[in-house]
Amino acid sequence: MKHKISAYCKIKNNQCWVNQDLMLTHQNQEQSFAKELYQKLNIKYPKFYKMDILAKYAFLSSEIVLQKQKTLHQYNDNQVALLFCNSNSSTLTDLKYQKSILNKKPSPSPSLFVYTLPNISLGEVAIRNKWYGENLFFIHPHFDIAFLYQYAKILLQSHKACIIAWIDIKNDEKDVLLLSVEPTQADEVNSLLFNKKNLKKIYTQ
Amino acid sequence: MAKPIQAMKIYIGAENSISPLGKTAESNFEAIKKGISGIKWHTKVGFDQKDLYLSKIKDISFEQNSHRFDDLLQECSLSTLQQLNTEIIQSPKTIIIVSSTKGNINLLQNQAKERHSLLKSAEKIQQKFKATHFPLIVSNACISGVAAINIAHQLIENKLYHNALVVGADIISPFVLWGFQSLFAISNAPCLPFDKNRKGITMGEGAASVFISKNKALFKTKPMQLLGGVSTNDANHISGPSRTGEGLYRAIQKTMQKHTIENKQIDFISAHGTATNYNDEMESIAFYRLGMQDVALNSLKGFYGHTLGAAGLIETAMTLQSMRHQTLIKSKGYTTQGTSHQLNILQQNKKQEIHIALKTASGFGGCNAALLLKNEL
Repeated sequence: MKHKISAYCKIKNNQCWVNQDLMLTHQNQEQSFAKELYQKLNIKYPKFYKMDILAKYAFLSSEIVLQKQKTLHQYNDNQVALLFCNSNSSTLTDLKYQKSILNKKPSPSPSLFVYTLPNISLGEVAIRNKWYGENLFFIHPHFDIAFLYQYAKILLQSHKACIIAWIDIKNDEKDVLLLSVEPTQADEVNSLLFNKKNLKKIYTQ
Repeated sequence: MAKPIQAMKIYIGAENSISPLGKTAESNFEAIKKGISGIKWHTKVGFDQKDLYLSKIKDISFEQNSHRFDDLLQECSLSTLQQLNTEIIQSPKTIIIVSSTKGNINLLQNQAKERHSLLKSAEKIQQKFKATHFPLIVSNACISGVAAINIAHQLIENKLYHNALVVGADIISPFVLWGFQSLFAISNAPCLPFDKNRKGITMGEGAASVFISKNKALFKTKPMQLLGGVSTNDANHISGPSRTGEGLYRAIQKTMQKHTIENKQIDFISAHGTATNYNDEMESIAFYRLGMQDVALNSLKGFYGHTLGAAGLIETAMTLQSMRHQTLIKSKGYTTQGTSHQLNILQQNKKQEIHIALKTASGFGGCNAALLLKNEL
C-alpha cells in the first residue's frame, strides 16, 4: 500500500509552518511562543497549561496537523500509531526538576518529576485523541530519516495511520516536525508521497 | 498459487543480568529460587535524609563510580556476547538496542552536562564493542525493556537486521528516588506486589541483556522462540493507570492475535506488579478480562524492587531461566489477595514445564507492552 505525508507542522526559528504555509511568527516576547500558538488554535484544553515544554510542543503540533487534516479523525482508536523521537530527551524539564531538588524548598516537585520522561509527550497526545495504538519514544543523535521511514512502514502494517514527530527542545531552540502518514486514495494525484526523499525535503526546507 | 509464507522464527537467549543478586543470569536465578531478595534497609538515602528500603548493587566496582550506568550496560552486554560468538556484534546485520529511563541522570549536576545523555552511553557501548551501527535508544518509561525486545523482533522480522543485542539498565539516583517520594509512591516496607497490605514501590537498580536473532545456531545454549508483541496507550492519564486496564488488555490481546495464541495456551505470566495500589489493581482487571485469572503469575519486584528501564529485561531474562529450569518462581511478598479480582499468584516455587510465557509491562505516560516466549519442543 502506498502512503502519503498527509500534513505536517514545523516549528523552528520562532516560526510555525503548516504544510507550506506560515501559520504564525513569534512576536510578543512577553509571552511564550507555545502560549501564542495555543491561543491561535482557539481550543479549550486546560491540561495544556500543566504540560512541560516537550509535551506542549507535541500537543500543539499534533493539534495543528489534526485541524488541517480532518481525515485523521476518521480512524478507530487502534489505528493510529505514534512514533516520536528527539535528541535532548526531557533535559530542559530534568534541569528544572533538579533545581526543585537542590533547593529542597519545599520539596522535589512531583508535577515536574512526572514530565522527566520524554514519552509523557506521547501520552498527552494519546489522551487528547483517545488513541490506544503503538506508542514509542526513541532518542536519536539527529533526525534519522532512514530509521523513521523504515519503522513507520513497519507500524503501518498494523495501523492505518502513523504520526511521526521529532520534538527537540534545547534551551531556547525548538526544532519540531510532526507529520501524519496516511494511505493514498486510488484516484489521488499530486499527493506528497511518504518516502525518504520527501521526509528529508520537509525537514530541511 | 503462491506458496504460503512461512513466518520467520526469531530466537531469544544468551540472557544475562547484573543486580544485587548476582552478575549472571544463573546466579540471579539461583538467588530468587532460594527466595533471596536484593531489598535492604538503607539509611539516610531518601529526601530529607529519610531511611528507605532499596535494592541497590553493593559490588565495589559499581559503587560511587561516576560511570556506573555505562559500566552496567557494558559488563552486562559482554556476558551476553560471551554466550555467542562475540564477533557477531560487529556485523552490519546486528543492531544494539539500549533501554533506559534516565541513564546517567546522576551526572546532570556535573559540569560536563552532556555526559548524562543516553546518546553518550550509546556512543560508548558502540565504541566498546566496535559495533557497525549507532545503537537505537528506547526511552518509554517502565515499558522500555519490553518495548525494546519487541522493536528488535520487528526489525528482524522485517529483514532490516538479522540480530539484536538488547540491553537495559537504570540506577538509583536522588533524582528518581526523591521524585517517587514526592509522589508518595514509595513503600515504607519492602514492596508487596498484589498483596492486600501493599504500600507502594521499592526502588531497585540493575541491568539485563538478551540476544535476539533469526539464526538459532548462533546460540551456544538453546534459545527460546520470541513471539514479539506490541505497545499500547491507555489514553487515560499520564501518571495513573487506567481503571479498566484497557491499554494492558489491548496490548496482550493484540500480541496473542498476532501469533494466533489463545489464553488457554499460556502457562505462565511474568507480570509488572509494582505494588502500588492502582497499578496492581489495574493489572488484575486486565488479566481477569482476558480470562487469565487461573494462569500462574508472579511479579519479581519483591526481589529486585522496581528497576524501571531494566525491569522488562530482568524479568524476561528470569522468565527464560524459568523456562530452562522448568521452575516457576514465587511472587515474593504476596500472601493475601489485594486486588478486586483474584489471580493465581505463585506463593511457592513450582516445578512446571512452560511452553508459552507472557511478559507484560506498564508505565507512566499510560504505556503498556506485552510479549510472548515459546519453548520449542
